[in-house]
Amino acid sequence: MVLIAIIIGCAVGALIGMNAPIISYTYSGYLAIAIVAALDSVFGGIASTIKGKFDMVIFVSGFFGNAILSILLTFLGEKLNVDIYLAAIVVFVGRMFTNLAIIRRHYIDKWVNRNKEKAE
Amino acid sequence: MKGKTTMTVIIGLICVVLVSVMFMQFKTISRIDITALENMQEKDLRNEINTSKTKYEDKVKELEDINLKIAEFNENADNNRKISELLTNELDQLKALAGLKSVSGSGVVVRLEDRQNSKVYANNLLELVNELKLAGAEAISINGERIVYDSYISDVGGEFITINGERIVSPYEVKAIGNPTYLESGLSKKQYGYIDKQKIEYNITVTLERKNNITINEYTGDLNFKSARSINS
Repeated sequence: MVLIAIIIGCAVGALIGMNAPIISYTYSGYLAIAIVAALDSVFGGIASTIKGKFDMVIFVSGFFGNAILSILLTFLGEKLNVDIYLAAIVVFVGRMFTNLAIIRRHYIDKWVNRNKEKAE
Repeated sequence: MKGKTTMTVIIGLICVVLVSVMFMQFKTISRIDITALENMQEKDLRNEINTSKTKYEDKVKELEDINLKIAEFNENADNNRKISELLTNELDQLKALAGLKSVSGSGVVVRLEDRQNSKVYANNLLELVNELKLAGAEAISINGERIVYDSYISDVGGEFITINGERIVSPYEVKAIGNPTYLESGLSKKQYGYIDKQKIEYNITVTLERKNNITINEYTGDLNFKSARSINS
């Protein structure tokens, strides 16, 4: 059910994105940061699902909140002439790696356990 | 069950948003790619070159304008010189015509002399001047007095003749520049011609001489209008 929703959502999103107008180069930097923040939220969501601590409200608010906040911080950095987006990228990508590691370990454990059961 | 549906929908929506934004970004980046930044710098440089070129062209144009102006001024100066030359020429010509310049040329010299019992009067001279002008004389002088536009010849008390206020006495030498043939034939017609008439009627000596080179001096007095004013049309 969820998997179908994800696939349909991705397909629709891809169609919308392909047909959307091109954003000017000046704003594509903000958009990139927003994407990184959103991806971080997605991986965080998956990780928390694995842990069984998934909360819909936290996930949605984190998804949009982080994106908007990172855009605002990048904008502020532009105004202050400080590359704040670097810090955002470091934090988000670092968390993404952590979450990915959690997901990887979970599935490896699952796989190893299944092999053991088969062997027994 | 209801909560799971909502979750599915929300996750789907989030997928829509995320993927659409990602694709938008992909498209932007692929269109602009990394050379855009370099292009921008290049564009700046190009702009600078363009502005410099425009400035240079402007300056060249200015220079051309100034050169044109200089050429114009030179031309004007040339024109002025030509005009002043023309004016000088015209002035000389007008002066010669008015009698303010000495002139020379071929013509005739008529000599009138008193006899013992007959005198030359102003009338004789006036008639002579008139006849000479009729025959095409261009410059006339009597005893060195140039005949100009306001010249007069009159008797003073039957003793002297005055021309232009100067007294002159016999013999009277009248010089006239013009075509000598016309002048001579104009004066020496038979019987009613001037010379014969003077000899017969007034009994004065009249001799006529053709000359190739007569010099008539300029008028030495002032030529001024006192009452008349020229009208600029």
